Amino acid sequence: METLFTWLWPAVSVLLAISLLRALWRRPQVTARPQPSQLVEMEDTLKEVYKLQRGEAAVQAEALAQAMGISVEMAEHLMEALVAFAWAEGDPSAGIRLTRRGQERAQELIRVHRLWERYLVEREGMPLEAVHIEAHRREHETTPDEAAKLDAELGHPAWCPHGYAIPDPGRRVPPPAGDPLTAYTPGARLRILDVDDEPPALLAQLVAMGLKPGAEVEVIERRPGHLRVQINGNIFPLAMAAAERIHAVPVPVLPVPLGELPVGSRARVVEVKGGGKHQRRMLDMGLVPGAEVTVVRKAPLGDPVEYRIKGTAIAMRRSDANSILVEEVRNG
Amino acid sequence: MGSKQIVVAVAGNPNVGKSALFNALTGGRQHVGNWPGKTVERAEGVFHYQGWEIRLVDLPGTYSLAAQSPEEVIARDYILSGEPDVVIDIVDATSLERNLNLTLQILELTDRVVVALNLMDELRRQGWEIDVEVLEEALGVPVVPTVATEGEGLPELVAAVVEVATGKRRTHPATVDYGLTVKGYIESLEADLARLGMDGRNRWVALKLLEDDPQIVEAFQQGNLAALGLAAPSASPEALQALLRRAVRLREGIRPDAKVEIIRRRFEFAHDVVRRVARRLRPVEDSLTERIDRIVTHKVWSWPIMLTALALIFWITIKGGEIGGAWLEAGLSWLIRLARTWLTSIQAPWWVTGALVDGLLMGTGTVIAAMLPPMVILFVAFDLLEDLGLLPRIAFNLDRPMQSLGSQGKQCITWGMSFGCNVTGVMASRIIENKKARLVSILTGPLIICSGSYGAGAALAIALFSNRAFPVMLSLFFLSLGAASLVTLILNRTIFRREPSGFVLEMHPYRKPQFGQVIWRALVDRVAHTMWRAVEFAAPATLLIWVLGNVPPGAPFEQTAIGWLVRTLAPLGRPWGLSGEMLAALLFALPAKEIIVPALAMTYGLQASLAESEQVLNYLPQAWTPLTAYTFLVFFMLYLPCLVTVWAAWKETRSLKWTLMGLVVPLVMACLITLFVYQGGRLLGF
Repeated sequence: METLFTWLWPAVSVLLAISLLRALWRRPQVTARPQPSQLVEMEDTLKEVYKLQRGEAAVQAEALAQAMGISVEMAEHLMEALVAFAWAEGDPSAGIRLTRRGQERAQELIRVHRLWERYLVEREGMPLEAVHIEAHRREHETTPDEAAKLDAELGHPAWCPHGYAIPDPGRRVPPPAGDPLTAYTPGARLRILDVDDEPPALLAQLVAMGLKPGAEVEVIERRPGHLRVQINGNIFPLAMAAAERIHAVPVPVLPVPLGELPVGSRARVVEVKGGGKHQRRMLDMGLVPGAEVTVVRKAPLGDPVEYRIKGTAIAMRRSDANSILVEEVRNG
Repeated sequence: MGSKQIVVAVAGNPNVGKSALFNALTGGRQHVGNWPGKTVERAEGVFHYQGWEIRLVDLPGTYSLAAQSPEEVIARDYILSGEPDVVIDIVDATSLERNLNLTLQILELTDRVVVALNLMDELRRQGWEIDVEVLEEALGVPVVPTVATEGEGLPELVAAVVEVATGKRRTHPATVDYGLTVKGYIESLEADLARLGMDGRNRWVALKLLEDDPQIVEAFQQGNLAALGLAAPSASPEALQALLRRAVRLREGIRPDAKVEIIRRRFEFAHDVVRRVARRLRPVEDSLTERIDRIVTHKVWSWPIMLTALALIFWITIKGGEIGGAWLEAGLSWLIRLARTWLTSIQAPWWVTGALVDGLLMGTGTVIAAMLPPMVILFVAFDLLEDLGLLPRIAFNLDRPMQSLGSQGKQCITWGMSFGCNVTGVMASRIIENKKARLVSILTGPLIICSGSYGAGAALAIALFSNRAFPVMLSLFFLSLGAASLVTLILNRTIFRREPSGFVLEMHPYRKPQFGQVIWRALVDRVAHTMWRAVEFAAPATLLIWVLGNVPPGAPFEQTAIGWLVRTLAPLGRPWGLSGEMLAALLFALPAKEIIVPALAMTYGLQASLAESEQVLNYLPQAWTPLTAYTFLVFFMLYLPCLVTVWAAWKETRSLKWTLMGLVVPLVMACLITLFVYQGGRLLGF
């Protein structure tokens, strides 16, 4: 018995020492912020997991892999890293759940991203389709203080240019709401927020038609039993039962720079920015608020662009045209 | 007659047929000059009507009277000056709404206005109809539909002008509804102005104060209203400044921006007028312009089309230059024979015959024979392209590549003209409205090799490089294009870095050019004028060259003035591998690049006059190494513009500084590039 104890105590102390060392070893890994190069990747994964995590269900590696367009192994690897940063808990192979810290960080990121998008469109006149990438770049470098300043400068906006809500600091990002397509009248331009994933066959069919979250759709006509909707320039009949399961919000019409419009589009001038001689010149050519402009054609090398305004054709460089903000006018 | 004179100013947007109307009324009898102190062209003409002498003054074409450009300042100041009894406002009936912006601004300045509703034929072709009576009523001044190119409606127009001038027809100019706020502010400022003892045009001045018009604001700041032709007897500078401060406060109160709001209201008014008077008779269809533009500005087809057009113009220039040059040479040699026989018959001493015939007649004649044909062809071609409406399309297609040089598409057009003749290139720069881009184009045009230096250079290249002449010429072509691009880039990155480079181009519809008028205008206004200048430069220069080659009389070549000049210049060119003979010949070629070959013949002592010479072309290959020959060609292509080009640059800039820059820039480029070529060539062992 004595011999047992003479062996037991050293063994216990060695084990204790090892576990202590391991704890010490791991501790800095848990508390330290990820390396900058990793940070972007990690934070993107975090946001994705946040969006996928509805209710209490854990997020599976397969779902994450599909959402991010990566392999399942890669997704598991990223999930492991999230767990290591203490942004999530659980086992990647069985599904993970965000920790409180992870949720807060994800909310902050989404908030900052949408604030930046708003800023870029409103203050820097960037085209709508380009702001996502730039906002994405900036969101990772923005401190909470800076975010608060940005929010104040923009006048605490409630919506991002894509039509999504900007959450208050520390609040949950509201899940995409919106009304079913059947609730809208013909002529409405809508952005799809949500498509019920039951039954799966219907979802697959809708996605194949292009009716997936984020897509823009226009209700053309209401017929008995079905709606006619236009998406990507194609018009489809959509059974009421299916339309019922698609949730959408109206697309907020934000002025866009004239230079970003494709050939053939028509628009109404909202504002002529800048000042000085150049602004005056454009005003005198008839580019006044309220005037209608048509994009006629691009030069062979893409710039300048010819516009038709009040019966005359005027060519302008894109960079100059971008100082004119317009609202696109739909046909009809 | 003098007492019964009516002065009429002709105003309108660009490209509405203003010059066609002007020419149709005056019958082409006009005096072309510049507005005092400006580089903007001013045309004046006189005609008679029922015992009245009517003097027409052509105002520059503008879209507005906002005093934002020299053209707008001139147009506005002239109307303000009270000199014109009546203003004819020419309006493009096919884009009435935009044109009315200017009309309404003119109506704010003066009530003696007659509107010429021009291009009625185009309007009818497009399937529109305008109710002239309703338009007249809406504007409150006479409106006469016209087709200036056909002379349609002109008698009625002149009758209306006389009626308005004599007061037989009263006008009630329309006032734009600027909205309650602006209107209230205008009235309040008007009252202030009246209290300062000002009368007449108070409403206009009040409006301009709210619009933040730079000219008016400056006049108020300096307390100098007289500059605007406005009298305010009791106004002290302090009172004016107080009024200005009040105007600024009111202006700030108009949201979002007073200037934008005022222009918007004016266009709204115009829009309402157009909606009332214009009616579409046929459904919209693609116009011919639209169909042509689809091809001319096509992603792929535009390039071969432009290249073909360019090649065609050069081919005509070179061919026409050869044929016309040959005729002129034949005429010249006949003239020289005639002069020689006559001088012999009156037993003139050798130096009189030499100076007059071999010097003056031969030299000047050679210059004319070389310069006249390409100049005629290019001026006519340019004016035709402009009339046709093709120039904006070329600028449209080529703007993007020029943007990377910090410049704009129209500069390509002036370069294209420079390839034909640097003089036309420099003069074509006036199509560029932006001051900075215009100067850059004037400075870089002379770096482009013209058909004169190309022709003379090709003759030398064939003699010196025989079957390798083509690649040599091609390399020179790209070298000159590269030098022009480089200078453009450098100028835009340095001196003109801060200047704005706005670019708004009107793509007006294609129109059938007025062939007769264009050719007449090109020949009389431009070619005759420019050629006379060329003769003025060439005559003394060629006489001097002959004298230099023949003084002292009968001396061997080394002892003549040219021999001395060659020896003196020799050390100057050493770093570039250029001999004294070459430098002297380059100096002699300044009146016209074409005479470089006979000039070389003179500086090498092979002949004592500027007669065409085969001898020197046989001699040079033995005297020059290939490297020397190439170096010389490079320097010759770039070194200095001909004297007529320098004169054109002076005429277009009216500035000694920029004219001198036009000499320094090519010279520096030529020295740098030649040094590089020569020393590089030596290092490589050529």
